[in-house]
Amino acid sequence: MAVHWHSFFFWLMAIMACGFALAVVFSNNIVRMAFYLILSLGAVSGLFFLAGADFLGAMQLMIYVGGTVVLLVFGVMLTARRPWVDMQTSGGQWVLAAVVGALLLAVLLQTAFSVPPWQSSAAAAGALPPAAEPTAGPLGLAMVGVRVERMADRPAAESSSGLAGYLLPFEIVSVHLVVVLVGAAYLARARRRLSAAAPARPLEEAPQ
Amino acid sequence: MELARVLPLLLGGAWLAPLASFAAIVFFGPRMGRHGRGAGFLATGAIGLGFVLSALALGIWLGEHPLAGDGHGTGTHSATIAPVTGQWYTLARFGSLQLGVGYYIDALTVAMFTMVTLVATCIHVYSFGYMHEELHEVTDALAPLSTGQPLRRPGRFVRFYQYLSLFCFSMLGLVIAGNVLMVFVFWELVGICSYLLIGFYRERQSASHAANKAFIVNRVGDFGMIVGLMALWGGLGTLAFGDTTDEAGRVRPGIFSQVRPASTGHALWVPEGFVRAAAASQVAEIYRQTSNPQEAEARIRAALGPWRSAGWGYSLLVIAGLGIFCGCVGKSAQFPLHVWLPDAMEGPTPVSALIHAATMVAAGVYLVGRFYPVFTPEVLLVIALVGCITLFLAATIALVATDIKRVLAYSTVSQLGYMMFALGLGGWLAGLFHLLTHAFFKALLFLCAGSVIHATGTNEMPEMGGLLRKMPWTAWTMLVGCLAIAGAGVPFFIGLSGYYSKDAILAQAFLFRQVNPRLGWLFFVAAGGAALTAYYMFRLWFMTFTGQPRDAHRFEHAHESPPVMYVPLVVLAVAAVALGWPIFGVTELLEQARPAGTAEGAMGAGFLPGLVMPPEHLSHAAKVHGPATWIAMLTALAGFGVAVVFYGVRALDPADVRRTLAPLYDFLWHKWYFDELYQACFVRPALALARLAAFIDRKVIDGLAHGLAGLVRLVSVADDWLDRLFVDGLVNRIAQGTYRAGLALRAIQTGQVRQYVMFLGLGTVALFVLVNFVWTLVLGIP
Amino acid sequence: MNLLGQPVGLVHYLVVGAVLFACGVVCMAVKRNAVGVLMGIELVLNGANLNFVALGSRFLRADSPLALGLDGQAMALFVIVLAAAEAAVALAIALNYYNTHATIDVDEADQLKG
Repeated sequence: MAVHWHSFFFWLMAIMACGFALAVVFSNNIVRMAFYLILSLGAVSGLFFLAGADFLGAMQLMIYVGGTVVLLVFGVMLTARRPWVDMQTSGGQWVLAAVVGALLLAVLLQTAFSVPPWQSSAAAAGALPPAAEPTAGPLGLAMVGVRVERMADRPAAESSSGLAGYLLPFEIVSVHLVVVLVGAAYLARARRRLSAAAPARPLEEAPQ
Repeated sequence: MELARVLPLLLGGAWLAPLASFAAIVFFGPRMGRHGRGAGFLATGAIGLGFVLSALALGIWLGEHPLAGDGHGTGTHSATIAPVTGQWYTLARFGSLQLGVGYYIDALTVAMFTMVTLVATCIHVYSFGYMHEELHEVTDALAPLSTGQPLRRPGRFVRFYQYLSLFCFSMLGLVIAGNVLMVFVFWELVGICSYLLIGFYRERQSASHAANKAFIVNRVGDFGMIVGLMALWGGLGTLAFGDTTDEAGRVRPGIFSQVRPASTGHALWVPEGFVRAAAASQVAEIYRQTSNPQEAEARIRAALGPWRSAGWGYSLLVIAGLGIFCGCVGKSAQFPLHVWLPDAMEGPTPVSALIHAATMVAAGVYLVGRFYPVFTPEVLLVIALVGCITLFLAATIALVATDIKRVLAYSTVSQLGYMMFALGLGGWLAGLFHLLTHAFFKALLFLCAGSVIHATGTNEMPEMGGLLRKMPWTAWTMLVGCLAIAGAGVPFFIGLSGYYSKDAILAQAFLFRQVNPRLGWLFFVAAGGAALTAYYMFRLWFMTFTGQPRDAHRFEHAHESPPVMYVPLVVLAVAAVALGWPIFGVTELLEQARPAGTAEGAMGAGFLPGLVMPPEHLSHAAKVHGPATWIAMLTALAGFGVAVVFYGVRALDPADVRRTLAPLYDFLWHKWYFDELYQACFVRPALALARLAAFIDRKVIDGLAHGLAGLVRLVSVADDWLDRLFVDGLVNRIAQGTYRAGLALRAIQTGQVRQYVMFLGLGTVALFVLVNFVWTLVLGIP
Repeated sequence: MNLLGQPVGLVHYLVVGAVLFACGVVCMAVKRNAVGVLMGIELVLNGANLNFVALGSRFLRADSPLALGLDGQAMALFVIVLAAAEAAVALAIALNYYNTHATIDVDEADQLKG
């Protein structure tokens, strides 16, 4: 039996991603949710690698797993309460959410399955997929406005359509990040507690 | 001096002076002098001026028409002095009917003016003293309040003189009137003044009732007068007494000229209008037969004579006369409308003296005298009968009356009966002469009675007595009055004024008896009445002034009246004594005014063919005058004697007679039960009718109105229910629906983030489904 | 195992992306902890990223003109960056919320209730 290793890893990563995503959903412990999220996102990163987006996979691991989820864990820790509060959702709402999720899933699956299969004839013949090429270079150059991978495809050079890079979005996102940084810092600043009648309730009290 | 210009001016001035006084007092009265005293001066001055002008007019008249100087006048001159007639102002003209303010001045007018103004002046002066308490606040014990306290009210001095002035104006207007309508207007005006003055003490219920009674009873008589007026207007086409000249210069004959035209020697004949009206069917027949109106008119005119001789239209003339007399019955308080005069004594005594003795009640007699030419012998007999009944009826009631003013009131009614009696028997001069003399001595008697009332504070004679020493002026002048009314005098020589006038009446009655033997009893009734008159007048005098005082308290406080009150008494007493004396020639003056054609006497025609109206001058013949005088003297002495026996020397006790003749006494005491009779016959049915009308108004008409209102209310309630249920309901329901929808939708807005997320998901799915399926199905895009 | 012997196609990636997406939505709808909701958001974004990448993958495209090529990866990169920024802001909000209300339960944040 010839194991298509690409498929094997795909299935592995896919099951990990979906499984841990489900675990995130069904877990009640926020810390465990964070952990499961890390694992899920890691699996997604693997999927990225398998899809040929190596730079992106690395970025996923670095930014998402190493940054965003860590941020979430910080958030978890900052909002933890002394007697550990377990917030449960009622069964009815689970049902409703499940119904909504199922519907959504059905819609999406229907869309997904409506995409025509576009395996190349070479792949259908069982040929090995082409070798992976590093995408970092082209991505970087695309960020600054040079689309190197398209230059070879175009027959004529009079029109420059399709050659525009992502310079402007790159700049916008940069500024955006600065703004977000400042904004988030402001939003989450620590409040001075002036008197006993502070808006914050004591941590001992269980919220209801 | 031209009478036609001067007399209207003088008498018109005398007439209007009281009107000016009235107007001034109406506007400025309360401000005249202290407490309004000046109003009295003004009124007295006005009527005094009236007297001066009247006396002046009399003097001028006598200068133009000197008296014959032969005692009683021959009376054969049918060419009596033409009266001064004219019109001052025409109010309106309706076709041939001319309504205006006009005058008719003859000797009678001048004499009446002088009498009225003189008596009124005396009474105005007297009232200064009598109404003195009206200058300040008055306490009226006879008008108690519901708490039992006597009424306290401000004085009405000014009002009194205001009404007196208005009355004098009205009376003089009546006397000078030149047409019947003006007479009627002033007739009603004196009625109003009488009402106002009788009800002067209006807070007393008795006074207000008496005022109402006087006016309503007069109104009954006035109804007949209007019928007479209509008959006259319909038949004669004019209401003026004398001839008038219209703008074209044509002479339009007045009433007297039409009824006693010169063509017949001023004998009474039925005017054309009455004949035509009575023979209306024949007139219509002629018009139907003839095609040409002028020819028809000619035929009718030719037939008028035979018709008149056949008696057509005579009844209409009788009706006209009776109608006018009806008014006189009411105004002069003759039977059966005499019931108001005794109650009219509720007014102040000067009012009783002026209005209900001397002037207003005399207006009826004056009108009979003025209308004399129009009366047929039948009407005259009716007048005489009414007068006869009245004089006897009133005299009997006066026998037992104890209120001093009531006695005098009934005496007035009786004397007015005498005047009507005389006029009805053909004694025109006698009746009017008695009118003049009666005015003076009756006014005198009333003013003396007022003096006594003012002094003792009571009207009841049983509470008086022995006042001769305390009130000499009053007592002696009243004695003069009593003698005058009784007709005292030396027979065939000299006497007081009443002697002459009463003598004339009895002489005429005696004459009448001679020519109408079947009606001879009239004379005996009149003679009996003279005896009764003497009796009750002296009974009054003895009871008041002689004997022991019956109420010591009143006697203590009695005092003589102030000069302002007893000087007019003296003036009137002088007139009462001297007026009848031949040297003053009052009878000759009146003779000048005798209407043309009435001196000759007449024969009854249509209804009483055998009736003979004797000419008055025959009553002066010795064989008539002699027996009449003796009988008058004897009856007066008899009455005087009985009064002396009962009340003078008190030989017999009247109480015994009262007990013995108790039923008769009761009958007389209750005034022959006339008031009760009228109450049952007229007053109660009228009140029942009024109650029925009020009941219909309250229950039926008001019920209908309330029912309609209730119906409207029900309709509005139903409408309201509909409105609330449907209209409001609809609007409210829409609003509520919207609100409930909003409340329901509010449930979705839970604020729960997770729920919003679910809706997001659902919405996405729905959109997808929509786009996926509907897009392809509807738009056909595969 | 012909499952493992077959090369995977685009559909598989899309299905995984769909599953992640649905899980993320359910997680957002179910979790009461605000940070849990943020985790759901991350899952959603990852599902979307997977789609982008799958559609731009050299291995999965069949020279179809509809393939995204490098654009897919570039878009996914931008998504990651923006997701990070958004996570930062959202966490700031959550911390702010926690600081003012002393609770992290989003069910308590119903002051916009109608």
